[in-house]
Amino acid sequence: MSIVIRDLHTATVAPSSAHRAVAAVRKQLWLVCPLFLMVIVLWAVAPGWFAPLDPERIDPRNRLVSPLTATEAGRHWAGTDQLGIDLFSAMVHGARLTLLVAVAATLIGACIGVIVGLLSGYFSGWVDRLLMRLTEAQTAMPMFLVAILLLSMLGPSVLILIIVLPTLVWPIFGRVVRAETLKVRESSYIEAAVATGCTTRAVITRHVLPNVMPRILVLMVIETGHVMLAEAGLSFLGVGVQPPDTTWGLLIADGRPLLTVAWWLTILPGVLLGLTVLCLNILSRRFETRAGAAG
Amino acid sequence: MGGSSDLVTVRGRVTRSDADDVTEEDGPVQASTPIARRMAWAGRSTVAGIVLRRARDGAITLVLVIVVIFVLTNVVGNPALVYAPVDASDAEIARIEAAFGLDRPFLERFGDYFAGIFRGDFGNSNWQQRPAIDAVLEALPATIQLSILGIAGAAFFGIVGGVLAGARPNSRLDRVTNFLSIGALSVPNFWLGLLLIFVFAVRLGWLPTSGRIGWNSIILPAATLAIVHGGRIFQLVRSATVEEMSKPYVRVARSKGFSDRQVLTRHVLRNTGLTTATIAGWEYVRMWGGAAFAIEFVFAWPGIGTLMINAAHRQDFFILQAAVIVAGAFVIVSNLIIDLMYRAIDRRVGAA
Repeated sequence: MSIVIRDLHTATVAPSSAHRAVAAVRKQLWLVCPLFLMVIVLWAVAPGWFAPLDPERIDPRNRLVSPLTATEAGRHWAGTDQLGIDLFSAMVHGARLTLLVAVAATLIGACIGVIVGLLSGYFSGWVDRLLMRLTEAQTAMPMFLVAILLLSMLGPSVLILIIVLPTLVWPIFGRVVRAETLKVRESSYIEAAVATGCTTRAVITRHVLPNVMPRILVLMVIETGHVMLAEAGLSFLGVGVQPPDTTWGLLIADGRPLLTVAWWLTILPGVLLGLTVLCLNILSRRFETRAGAAG
Repeated sequence: MGGSSDLVTVRGRVTRSDADDVTEEDGPVQASTPIARRMAWAGRSTVAGIVLRRARDGAITLVLVIVVIFVLTNVVGNPALVYAPVDASDAEIARIEAAFGLDRPFLERFGDYFAGIFRGDFGNSNWQQRPAIDAVLEALPATIQLSILGIAGAAFFGIVGGVLAGARPNSRLDRVTNFLSIGALSVPNFWLGLLLIFVFAVRLGWLPTSGRIGWNSIILPAATLAIVHGGRIFQLVRSATVEEMSKPYVRVARSKGFSDRQVLTRHVLRNTGLTTATIAGWEYVRMWGGAAFAIEFVFAWPGIGTLMINAAHRQDFFILQAAVIVAGAFVIVSNLIIDLMYRAIDRRVGAA
């Protein structure tokens, strides 16, 4: 990655002042992402404050109203569905479960992956071989299908979803953490720690883990986005979150039969989900370049 | 699998740590784990040795897949509960268990299931009233057809775009295509399919919305897959090209007076070609990990994904089990072929 950064700096041509202003604005453009994500988090924390209407309020006179139309209940920014429920309010309320499932599943996946990665990176030999074999077997499995199988067996629920989704992400954490641990293990401060009599456990938790942490955090940002997409996919297929709970993926599924008459019911929740994942991706990329430039 | 998946792992880009793992002998994708490195050495002597070793690894993985699937369906869940009505008493459940042979010891049941698989018997579908494997094999060609067309489109856009963008990092073309590809990675794939249906089938009326009737019904699902996976291929090919362009020999070639195009086609493309082919291969395997199946459902494409969703709604485990195992076997075989092809090309390049 370092190469890309170097090119970024050398490739700039002597700019005019107008150019410079545009460039300055463009440079700060990424700040839109954390702001957007903050809004989404606020929606998730206090949906009642941000949703203009109650997402369970049925309004039979204003069914399938197109976006931006004003009715006596207020302006429907994102239109209404076949029961007259305000889509924007439903999306605001859907943020909570969407975020909760994604963050919880990513955290669990990260924990498993980090433990596996640290162990197999620090103790090479049979531990490493066994754990890496497991990771490989897991990658060979069509996990999305396994998730469908599991969810349809155990009965789809939020809890099961949070247990099943980490299986999609832990191998990635495992592999990245292992590669980083292998590098860190060779450094002289680890040698010093071992020499001064630190227990293996202390070496791993106090010295290896903090040095691997930046990579884990960057990866967590990206993977949260991926888990969000996976949850949306499973919910869309009917084996994820079940009504009356709502996530954005479920809203897309609800709108699908009405695609020909009310496009906004399908398209707008997807735009929201896509923008959120896009922001996570851009942000993680930014952290990654920073980490690359520093290290 | 080897360490080959490391490239794919850090989604979207070849990162520095991966580049550091590269040894001069094994190319950028191969030897990032000690096991892969050791095996690369051990198998170096004979072609048959490599094939056997990889086949053995594949077989072990397949057995692991079968074990995991069986344990998940029989220990984590209880198939009898699925057949039983919601208010069934314990006695009724016990009767169902007895009827399906579920009251026998676990190992005995696993042995039967495992032996059955070798005879091609995956159990009978209670939804379709026929062997589960028949339903799965009937759906398999449609999935293979769609996924191959999808990966062809993805490889075309991803590689052409990635090379052009990577050849001039931070140019306008690079910035625009880079943003587009991140966008393609960020949207839910099934939603993208619905968007394409809305635009090209509902509004413009150019193409059918769904199904598999007529040659043009494959265009939209394949295009959806091509966009989603093309985005990732683009990212990987772009970083590989950027990295290659910064190597000293490129500067030498330029200083000798070669044009940019000559440098690109004569030197850079030849050196990144192998990596690029592998990236496309891994992306194909990845497609089988998820996206292809959700897309099938959106377009009512009669493949394994659609079959699985329908089976899931009818609680038909035998079809679900058979579908996952067949898809797993397909992934393992694809992995094997990609790995061997990579080695074959690598050998020729090394010998030249």
